Amino acid sequence: QKLPRGSSSILVSTRQKGNPLLTHIKNIPWEYASSIPSDYLLGATPALFLSLKYHRLHPEYIYTRIPKLPQAPLRILLVLVDVDTVSTTDPLRELTKTSLINNLTVILCWSAQEAGRYLEAYKSLEKTAPTTIMGRKEEEFGARMVECVTKVRSVNRVDAVSLVANFGSLRGAINAKGEEMGLIAGWGERKVARWERAVGESFRVGK
Amino acid sequence: MSTPTSSQPKVSLPLAYQQDLFEEVCEQDQLVILARGLGLLPIITSLLHKYDAVGNNLVLLIGADDRENGWLGEALAEHAVRSGTTEARGLKIINTEVASVSARAEMYKQGGIFSVTSRILVTDMLTDLIDCPKISGLVVLHSERIIATSIEAFILRIYRQKNKEGFLKAFSDNPEPFTTGFAPLATMMRNLFLRSPSLWPRFHVTVAKSLETKKAEVVELEVAMTDSMREIQTAVLECIETSISELRKSNSSLELDDWTVDSALHKSFDVIVRRQLDPVWHRISWKTKQVANDLTVLRRILHCLLTYDCVTFYQYLETILATHAPPPGSTRSSQSPWLFLDAAHTIFTLAKRRVYIGKADLSKKASGKVPHGLEPVLEELPKWAMLAEVLDEIEKDRYFNPALSQSSGSTLIMCSDESTCRQIREFLQTMHETPLEDLINQDDELEEKPNRASAAYMMRRKLRAYFAWKPDFSKFSALLYTGEQKNQSQGQGNFGGPANKIPSNEGSRGRAPPPNKRRRVRGGAAAASGPNRQNTGAVQVTEEQSAQVAALLAGVQPTEGEQNLKQEIGADSFENMEDYYEFYEMNDLIVVHPYDGDMDERLLDELRPRYVIMYEPDPAFIRRMEVYRSSHKDREVRVYFLYYGKSVEEQRYLSAVRKEKDSFTKLVREKGSMSVTLTLDAKAVEDPQEAFLRTVNTRIAGGGRMMATAVPPRVIVDIREFRSSLPSLLHGRNVEVVPCTLTVGDYILSPDICVERKSIKDLISSFKDGRLYTQCENMLLYYKNPMVLIEFDQNKSFNLEPFADLTGNIGQHDLQAKLVLLTIAFPKVKLIWSSSPYQTAEIFEELKRNQKEPDPLEAVKLGLGPGEEIAGVYNQTPQEILRSIPGINPKNIKIIMSEVENLVELSNMEERDISALIGKEAGKQVHKFFNRSAFS
Repeated sequence: QKLPRGSSSILVSTRQKGNPLLTHIKNIPWEYASSIPSDYLLGATPALFLSLKYHRLHPEYIYTRIPKLPQAPLRILLVLVDVDTVSTTDPLRELTKTSLINNLTVILCWSAQEAGRYLEAYKSLEKTAPTTIMGRKEEEFGARMVECVTKVRSVNRVDAVSLVANFGSLRGAINAKGEEMGLIAGWGERKVARWERAVGESFRVGK
Repeated sequence: MSTPTSSQPKVSLPLAYQQDLFEEVCEQDQLVILARGLGLLPIITSLLHKYDAVGNNLVLLIGADDRENGWLGEALAEHAVRSGTTEARGLKIINTEVASVSARAEMYKQGGIFSVTSRILVTDMLTDLIDCPKISGLVVLHSERIIATSIEAFILRIYRQKNKEGFLKAFSDNPEPFTTGFAPLATMMRNLFLRSPSLWPRFHVTVAKSLETKKAEVVELEVAMTDSMREIQTAVLECIETSISELRKSNSSLELDDWTVDSALHKSFDVIVRRQLDPVWHRISWKTKQVANDLTVLRRILHCLLTYDCVTFYQYLETILATHAPPPGSTRSSQSPWLFLDAAHTIFTLAKRRVYIGKADLSKKASGKVPHGLEPVLEELPKWAMLAEVLDEIEKDRYFNPALSQSSGSTLIMCSDESTCRQIREFLQTMHETPLEDLINQDDELEEKPNRASAAYMMRRKLRAYFAWKPDFSKFSALLYTGEQKNQSQGQGNFGGPANKIPSNEGSRGRAPPPNKRRRVRGGAAAASGPNRQNTGAVQVTEEQSAQVAALLAGVQPTEGEQNLKQEIGADSFENMEDYYEFYEMNDLIVVHPYDGDMDERLLDELRPRYVIMYEPDPAFIRRMEVYRSSHKDREVRVYFLYYGKSVEEQRYLSAVRKEKDSFTKLVREKGSMSVTLTLDAKAVEDPQEAFLRTVNTRIAGGGRMMATAVPPRVIVDIREFRSSLPSLLHGRNVEVVPCTLTVGDYILSPDICVERKSIKDLISSFKDGRLYTQCENMLLYYKNPMVLIEFDQNKSFNLEPFADLTGNIGQHDLQAKLVLLTIAFPKVKLIWSSSPYQTAEIFEELKRNQKEPDPLEAVKLGLGPGEEIAGVYNQTPQEILRSIPGINPKNIKIIMSEVENLVELSNMEERDISALIGKEAGKQVHKFFNRSAFS
């Protein structure tokens, strides 16, 4: 397969040859570029790759690479966790500190597949507006209503639906009396008390 | 101690084991585990009173819930009156609603007995609002909940650091949690900073002796389930079994010994499942999660089968069916697997058959005619008839053997919850108000048949309410999920007829609960002509209607019963139970009451019933009866014990009894082998977690902080964060934890570093509602180095859920993709990955190294708008609900919260008033969300 050229692909340093994660970059084209100082170049974002197993053997390695990394608003340190959880403690503590000092963003992944996926995501979402994480806009009433009502502890979907169905609207449900609510299947006294407390409690403490 | 204390115990603790226990616990600090039903609260009351009576004590009670607070408060007041001490001041309760900071300080200074919410107490202790060395002692309730990282353990640690003299007594009446894990009792003792456990199972010699002196007269009545109930039960059990094997299949790596149908019946099953699954919760398949949820639902169905009347039960099933349909837009188009089983089909058909039989004629819907062949079945719960019989027997007995003893002659009916109470009450009120028809017979002979208990009247009322509810509900669920659904449309077809018919009789249906409706029906009944006797199926339902209406007319004569009925519906609040639970004034009183833990003791004492009917089995209450019987030798009491034979109820009861016994046996064994290590040195053998906590403790206690650096490292922590274990661990690492109310960030490590902590669950939800985005925006405004901490749970696996589908295209909805978006949007925000709060504490320490200490005053002020005073804390749940309302965003939420009192007020506001606060568009959205009818 012929790879397209230019900025539409992920640039991979020849140093990364043989890294198993390359086989998992499938949705975005990638190509070797010998001259880049980072391991990967995702548009304008340089990324370094570090396997914790390797880091344990050569703790100094990453510190030789970081200074050469070009300045950019976002610089990624992609860390592959290939050791057991107990032995992540020291390196992670140290890398977190380093990332703060050197303006690196640490991303942890647990498999080559996941690593490849992150690279793909960085490249493909490069110019995407962050609307998906800014909170949703319009959604169906039902789903929103259920979400809203189930914020109260121990109230589940079924309860939410039967509550609002019983009182006609959310307003009705909020203004419902405890004993009326108790008549609904599934609404035991504790649940009722929790609900009443949640809607009757002032937003601010001590007001 | 002063004089009253010596006399007091005798008044309230008549039994030998109670006195022994009381003396023992007064003498030394220990963990008391008492079998359920043997009356823990009275002992705690006596203990608290002992300190209360002396006066100048400051005793803190932690871990008590609202009802226990209420109960203890009353009991203490009673003790105070009885003992006649002037010093006793009773229980003061400190929770979020009352008391500003200064008021709290004042209260603590005055001393007395306090029950304090843990989260408040820990901040008060840290800020020295409460003078720890002055605390006389701590009483811990529900000790079984205390784990190493819990907030209560944190409190105990601070307490023991600052105060070596005060007493510390822990209580629990729940032995099961003490038996899971490795050396659980020893671990628990360490968390509690206690050395000796004191175990009081039912088979304890003293307990047994005290209770066997006088036995209560018990009549056991096995009630047979109806055939359909039994079949439904079998079907549900089959669904449970299938679900469990499904879980086993897809999670072969887990240890699933506990996952059996038998344990699925037990109350703690959900906990067991979650404990097993939690470590891998973010990795297990969506299917597994769904099945785990299904199990909860199925267990609930089992319970409802035995407690709900057939109409309510079917109604509940329908709700479940509607809500278990896949949400629209979901790619996971499958419904819960159990719904596909034949057994599920059986459940639904049988449940329906218990309500009515016959099938609807779908084509008639449009023409407005009533469907063919609907015949009500209205199967009654077998226990009802039995209850009526028992009451009858009691009446006779009372007549032939008038009360000789101290008992009041009243009858107490105990059942599991409020809704069952309501059901029983309704049944008892109406059981002799038989409708005109001959019970459940299908021939429409209108025949008076009084003097035989029957629930027909009640059931008809329920059925009518059901038919009123049904069309609305169908509309509503259709609205919920617009996607076409087989079940829904079927349902609507079925009920199209009645739906069109009923409105003529009942103005507003379904939305209002029975009391109002009843009245409306009565109004409508006047218009309705006499019962239609036609025997064709087509008019069956109409006929039902008018028959019922007529019956209703008869039923609602302003009789004594009617008046009581009103009362019954008007007030069900627990506080007023003595006033309202009475409803059936004949020779004497019948009281219906739900099981309520140790609170039942007071009920028995006040009521002094001669007859007690246990409508549902409850091992704790049986003990309570034993205790009651033994403590009051002069009171005659007979207990009727109703249970469904061969039912889940019976099984559950038996296994609960067995489990408790097993737990105690294990505990006794562990206590025997444990004492050695504990007496040698409680700190000698420890697991690393404990060692971690303790090394640091000793450093502080040894005055190490004076010698090392001038100032200990300081971290400012948002008050809300005290729910998590991180503050406790930071404190354990000799970091000064300063609790503040922060607007920006959760943890302030230095003037530059601000951290927002997100557990995985938080992370997912705050991506969803955009909270994290605004939080990052805010942090960037005020801090040079904002960080987001992604914290995994201790003992849960340290990795994110793999990309849903690693081969497909890159979606924006994976957690990872969202993280990518976040880092692209905020390149300056750095991530901290931590496998557990322990690791987080270490990372924080590392990050703080060579950094300046943060200034609390500065941190608190950041992020507040002009003129905003330092914010009071917001109440969590209302705030979360508010946040989920469309139109509310992180900016206007503050306006709402400062201008509007609570959700009730907000929901009742006019659109223009809301708009005046938060703008036109948002105001409109909010108003619409509250007022949108569920049926249009």
